[in-house]
Amino acid sequence: MTEILHVSGVTVRFGGVCAVENVDLRINDGELIGFIGPNGAGKTTLMRVITGIVQPQDGKVFLEGVDITNKATHQRIRAGLALAQQIVQPLRAMSLLDNVALACGGEKTHHALKSMWITDISSEHNRARALLTRVGLSHVVKELPGTLPLGYLKRLEVARALALNPKLLLLDEPLAGLSQKEAASLADLISTLNADGQTILLIEHNLREVMRICPTLYVQDNGKSLAFGKAEAVMSDPNVRNAYLGVSHA
Amino acid sequence: MLYLELFIQGFVQGSIYALIALGLTLVYGLLRILHVAHAALFTLGGYIGVIVTNATGSFTLAMVVAMLVVGFAGMLMYKLAYEPLLSKPPYVSLIASIALFIAAEEIFRIAFGPYGLSYQTPPLQGQIELFSDFYLKYAEILVMGLSVVLLSALAWLSMRTRTGVAWRATVTDPDMARAFGVKIQNVRYLNFFIGSSFAAAAGVLVALLNNLVEPTMGSVPSYKALAIIVLGGLGSIRGTLIAALLLGILESFGTIYIGHLLGRDAIAFAFLILVLMVRPQGLMGGKL
Amino acid sequence: MSYEITLLTTMAISVLFALSLNFITGFCGQISLGHAAFLGAGAYTSAMLSKAGVPFLMTIPAAALCAAVLGAITGLASLRVRHDFLAITTMGVGFLFVGIIRQQDFFGGEIGIAGIPGSGFGKVRFMLICVALAFTFAAFSLYVRRSWMGFVFKSIADNEDVTRVLGIDVSRYKLIAFIIGTGTAGVAGALYAHHFRFIGPDSFGFVESISVLAMVIVGGIGSVWGVIFAAALLSVLPMLVQFIDDYKLLFYSALLFSMMRFSPDGIAGLCTRLSSSISRRTTESDGNKR
Repeated sequence: MTEILHVSGVTVRFGGVCAVENVDLRINDGELIGFIGPNGAGKTTLMRVITGIVQPQDGKVFLEGVDITNKATHQRIRAGLALAQQIVQPLRAMSLLDNVALACGGEKTHHALKSMWITDISSEHNRARALLTRVGLSHVVKELPGTLPLGYLKRLEVARALALNPKLLLLDEPLAGLSQKEAASLADLISTLNADGQTILLIEHNLREVMRICPTLYVQDNGKSLAFGKAEAVMSDPNVRNAYLGVSHA
Repeated sequence: MLYLELFIQGFVQGSIYALIALGLTLVYGLLRILHVAHAALFTLGGYIGVIVTNATGSFTLAMVVAMLVVGFAGMLMYKLAYEPLLSKPPYVSLIASIALFIAAEEIFRIAFGPYGLSYQTPPLQGQIELFSDFYLKYAEILVMGLSVVLLSALAWLSMRTRTGVAWRATVTDPDMARAFGVKIQNVRYLNFFIGSSFAAAAGVLVALLNNLVEPTMGSVPSYKALAIIVLGGLGSIRGTLIAALLLGILESFGTIYIGHLLGRDAIAFAFLILVLMVRPQGLMGGKL
Repeated sequence: MSYEITLLTTMAISVLFALSLNFITGFCGQISLGHAAFLGAGAYTSAMLSKAGVPFLMTIPAAALCAAVLGAITGLASLRVRHDFLAITTMGVGFLFVGIIRQQDFFGGEIGIAGIPGSGFGKVRFMLICVALAFTFAAFSLYVRRSWMGFVFKSIADNEDVTRVLGIDVSRYKLIAFIIGTGTAGVAGALYAHHFRFIGPDSFGFVESISVLAMVIVGGIGSVWGVIFAAALLSVLPMLVQFIDDYKLLFYSALLFSMMRFSPDGIAGLCTRLSSSISRRTTESDGNKR
């Protein structure tokens, strides 16, 4: 079992507040980990540490054994991370096809000066079309994002992230804001992607869907690791139940 | 003694900058617009101050009239120029504001002539001797005094009155404020009124110090005011005031020592760029 | 004929200058309120070399280099700041340039540099050189827009953070945009110096920066054809219509303001909207005819 991600002893402080405290997390190849925890648990902060948007005061992040703690975001992406963000941000002036095609063009955009000499986009368009079909958006590839519903834009985020051929796909609350039916549908897609071999770390609030599709759960509360393991075991852990006081979705 | 003189000069200049930059930062804090045209209101205040003083002989009346008229002019500017552009991308209101400013300067030139106006009988022309060989003009004392009074009044207004609370709430979270029944529109009008009238006061004072008001007198202060609010950290009132005073003093000393290299007016921008390289969010700006 | 040639030359130089800003602001979304500084850098470099005896054509790469170096520094500075801060920083660069030039006798101080020699090519051939350079850069701009570099620029202009999350080194692309845009402005500066034969610090101040920005915006940010049209028109309008010349600034600012109020995407935007509403109406009426 190859270890894809290792978060080791990460601590993040903002001013006087400790957002993440001494967190350890390991993700192996092919796993689908549900990352849950009450509001304010520090989930997004940890996600930002993994992607490099936030620097930890303490601790390290390893991707396939390589220390990426000091690398810039775009370097981590090139090393194999991909992120679908909570607040969808499609590139508004381009069609969905172009949105994904840009992500597919990693080889062509890597060297800025070389990118000037390349005009052929056909292979990226083909790949993009395939990816958009995979996420169920084949009928709207030519549309601009502005006219499309949230559910579609969430899928676009996923397609764009997949285009980067990531070793680890980070999904930050993809089901937020969706209706029950849309959420179930998107959750199914995530499960299918994992079944096809994609390693996924899924931050989510929607416990119903998380319980349904994630075999393994990682729970964080108040910035500290609370539990990690098989879904049923974690949800029956009294500490976890206490942290979720009052929540009864399981 | 030279140092003290430079310091006080810098303080006087800084007070003027503070009065001007305040309006700019008030608008930015509320609407995220760089209100370049603000400097036109400064110039307008200067013109009104001179015209009313020459017509009525009363400087005090001129100051009051200038502040009131320009306050309303500022509100009008918001209504006609900025409100329709609120939904557009930020560069639109920036360019529109610049266009407005240039147009205003031209209108002043056409209406009042390119050579400017002066006081017929300039008020407050005396000076007092603080210590040997060091004089402080009455006008300079007025600048410092009036600035302190106006800024304190503003601080009192924002901290201790319901209007002030409503205003601060709107700046922090407009939706929340709206939910509590605050009339956002009125807050915006008040915002522009206060900022513009302070700029008018600055205009009247500068016209007094130089005994001249001319169409382009707003240019340099406008650009510097922009540098000041960025320096202070966009949206931070405290930052703006500190930056304004700091700049006034810096220019005062800087002109003597590096003025031959850059010219006085470029010092503001040199300082700004240096600071931004070290602290991209400005001196007191929040996290980007 | 001579008058028309002068007009064409002025137009060509303005088009080149405006397209160079379009590269930075239009393509890559980095607003610059100090672009005239780079025109000035090129102009002063070329003028001083020319007066020292260097042949005109050889001053052009020197001008481009000088402007590009300044542009690279500005670009590096711009990487640290965003949006509004960027606008004011670039404005500051412009003021710094003028401030420094004005103070140094080496650059001619307040008075500037007069008696710049002609290009040595005669009026007609000089005009053709200017037109050729403008044309070349226009073609280059159109090409880049179709290339992957243009694709990335468009993405950066749209949403910088997302572009980064796609694994793209945004900083490097921005820097390249700045260097190309400012270097080209430097070339325009060399042409400017040899066209007007006199330059001073006031030729490259804030008003000049706003004028060229106006050309880009009125044309339509990012639209090569729009910017060409707007630059050509606005540069010669004061020469053609005396009334406009007298009230030049008022006219420009009124035009700019109206544009922002009613069509912020410029003439290009107007045209796009006009053509799509026409095609909509023709398809509707076709539908009705059946």
